[in-house]
Amino acid sequence: MSVIITVGMADYKTARSPDLLLTAGLGSCIGICIHDPFLKVGGMAHIMLPMASGSLGGNPAKYADTAMALLMKEIASMGANKSRLRAKIAGGAQMFSFPGKPQILKIGDRNAEAVELELKKYGIPLLIADIGGSFGRTIHFDVATGDLRIRTINHGEKVV
Amino acid sequence: MEVTQFQLDALREIGNIGSGNAATALSTLLQRRIDMSVPKVWAVPFEQVSDIVGQLDMPQAVIYVKVEGEASGKAVFFFPVESAEIVVHALFGTSEPMDLYTDEMAQSALKEVGNILVSSFLVALTQFSGIPLQPSVPALAVDMIGAILDAIFLEEGTLDDTVLFIDTQLSGIPKIEGQFIFLPDEGSLKKLLGAMGL
Repeated sequence: MSVIITVGMADYKTARSPDLLLTAGLGSCIGICIHDPFLKVGGMAHIMLPMASGSLGGNPAKYADTAMALLMKEIASMGANKSRLRAKIAGGAQMFSFPGKPQILKIGDRNAEAVELELKKYGIPLLIADIGGSFGRTIHFDVATGDLRIRTINHGEKVV
Repeated sequence: MEVTQFQLDALREIGNIGSGNAATALSTLLQRRIDMSVPKVWAVPFEQVSDIVGQLDMPQAVIYVKVEGEASGKAVFFFPVESAEIVVHALFGTSEPMDLYTDEMAQSALKEVGNILVSSFLVALTQFSGIPLQPSVPALAVDMIGAILDAIFLEEGTLDDTVLFIDTQLSGIPKIEGQFIFLPDEGSLKKLLGAMGL
């Protein structure tokens, strides 16, 4: 019997096969999904901002860099082998655009960049990056197969 | 900043007056009775926002207006998609199905509803505090409520661990539900409270 484990905003969770990880309503936030296909374990983080940049206190699972550190530690403690890890990410949308406002500070894009940088730092191949657009995403991650199901309201549903 | 119980009560009173104005405006616009809950003032970790807005991937129509002026903030009005359809039908006096995701007329009508609601809320806030406040051009998104709210919270690329907001439920007969929230920017709260001698 598989259980669906819900990951909240600024939260991270790990799971073992046959359990699934879920996070609902990703906007400019990013869902980072990492798994070890051999051991069939993995984890998901729902990050909201790029860098903790030395800010003390607060919830470390909020930021791409500090959340990755926590997630990697927990996945390693489940016995996963770092060289086998694979990643998929989704989110990073721009939900609103105000006419005449500069686009340089789009937080969704900055989040995606930060996450990609972190994955590179840990040497984890990024297989799928379903990012951008102007719509929300709900994602289910199967830690056994690595299948990532991405559901949207008006832009279809797919498994990648 | 730390918010005392006394200050929360003052904010609830602001919410009461502002939301009352907004509900009256909506009622006049739709020619329907609109009821309003007693506003709640929340100072909660943002992780608990889902307790307030419900299921994060529920589709809702969200109108977002930035509040500009000396006490800036963000005003957000959201309805479940079914309620938004009822509102649009009432405005156009039709029952033809409309696709809120694509129909520009329907979207424009919803933005105008948001504009009227937020403006009436701000009139009350300005009268109460003496601080002039102006609404920006409204923006509309019809999508998962969690996705839209995270974009609104994170727009400036920062997020305090605690978010403070005034939350009012509006309900109309038949079957209109909506929720209005106002999020003062951090410095604004101090100014609003200061203007009221708190």
